Parts: sequence; structure tokens; C-alpha cells
Amino acid sequence: MVRIADGLDVEGPVQGELFVVWLHGGRLELTGLCGAAPWLIELPAADHPVEAVARVVRANLGDPLLVHSTSRRRDRGAVILSFVVVIDPAAVGAMESVPISRAELARGGRAAAPREIGFEHVVEHGLRHTAWLAKDDPVVRAELPPGWHAALAAYVPEPFRSLG
Amino acid sequence: MSEIITARCACGWETTGPEADVVAATIEHGRRLHNMEATSEQVLPAAVRTDDGAEPRERDRAS
Repeated sequence: MVRIADGLDVEGPVQGELFVVWLHGGRLELTGLCGAAPWLIELPAADHPVEAVARVVRANLGDPLLVHSTSRRRDRGAVILSFVVVIDPAAVGAMESVPISRAELARGGRAAAPREIGFEHVVEHGLRHTAWLAKDDPVVRAELPPGWHAALAAYVPEPFRSLG
Repeated sequence: MSEIITARCACGWETTGPEADVVAATIEHGRRLHNMEATSEQVLPAAVRTDDGAEPRERDRAS
């Protein structure tokens, strides 16, 4: 994802990275108000991360179907908390949207973080964790719309993970 | 007459117009989309003067 170097940018020691995902014709797609790309938000110390994410999504896209944190990592001089945000297809509107391709997970060494983590790796893990939640969490299992369980079936369930 | 400037967000959003309008729009964008409280002192140094007589406009990557 290209970010504008001289633009106003998200700052702070803890930042939220939102992946807005929806089901389009049986395929999972990435969308969002910053394009089909990670949507960054600031998470001030006074904000509960999940509540802040839900509030920002609600203010811009309406009520999300699901908000769940899926991983954390060090990047941009901060701790990045990544979230999968599931929205209803009706909320997509004219936003840019691209199908999500499968990716290998970025894996580290025995005592070292992965060398490089692209956002496709974070999304892959985010959906694997959502697959975990779909089986393990009765609330998530009930809230995911029809079709999601089939779309997630190919993802090996993974717990919340520190990606580096 | 107020100078016409363009401010950008790292996400791809940008807005062009009179200085006061651009500052207000950029701060609102930061608050609404990115949960950030930007100030005019942060917005103005990164804004660029638009000399081509461009009409005021706002553009984001989503459209």
C-alpha cells in the first residue's frame, strides 16, 4: 500500500490497523475508506482499542457485523493492533474493493520475529483467527452472516498472534 | 483573498481550497477517519500552495 510521505499521518505509541472485510459472491474482499488497504487509526491511552475501532467504524460505515482484534506487531515506531472488521455488503457503496488472495504467514525464527511482514500476511492471519473464532466463540459463530463459514472453511484456524 | 492550498493525508485523501477551509476539513478528516486530534500547527506545514487556480475540492481514495 502506498502512503503519501508528506501527508498528515497517524501517530502514537499504539495504533489500530483495520481490515474491513465483506463477503461478495462467496469471496472475501478487502475494502475501506482509505481504499482496499489497511485503515489506520490512533488509539490514545484513554481509549479502549475495541471500543475506539467500533466507534470509528460506526461513525463512517454504520454498525459493523463484527470487530475483533487478531494480532499485534511492532511497526511504524509503534505497537500496531490489527483488527478484522466485518461489514454488511450494503455498507460497501462506492468504496474500492478487491478480492483477498491467500498468502503464506510471515514466520520468525526460534527466537526472532519475521524479517518482513506485509499487510497481506496480516490479513491472512486475521482471517485464520476469524476462522478460529467462528468455531470457538459462540457469539462470533452466531454473528457471522450466512456464507462466511463456508468462505472461512479453507483457513486453518489460528489464535491471536504476535507477528513481530 | 485567502491563499489556495492543498493538504493531504497519508491515506490518500486530499483537499484543496482556502487555507481556513482546508485546515478545518483536514482536522475533521483526521478526527472522523483516523481518531486523531490534529492541529492547524500540524496541518499547515505539510500543506502545499496551489498556484494553478484549482477549484476547491476534496478527494479521497474511496471515490
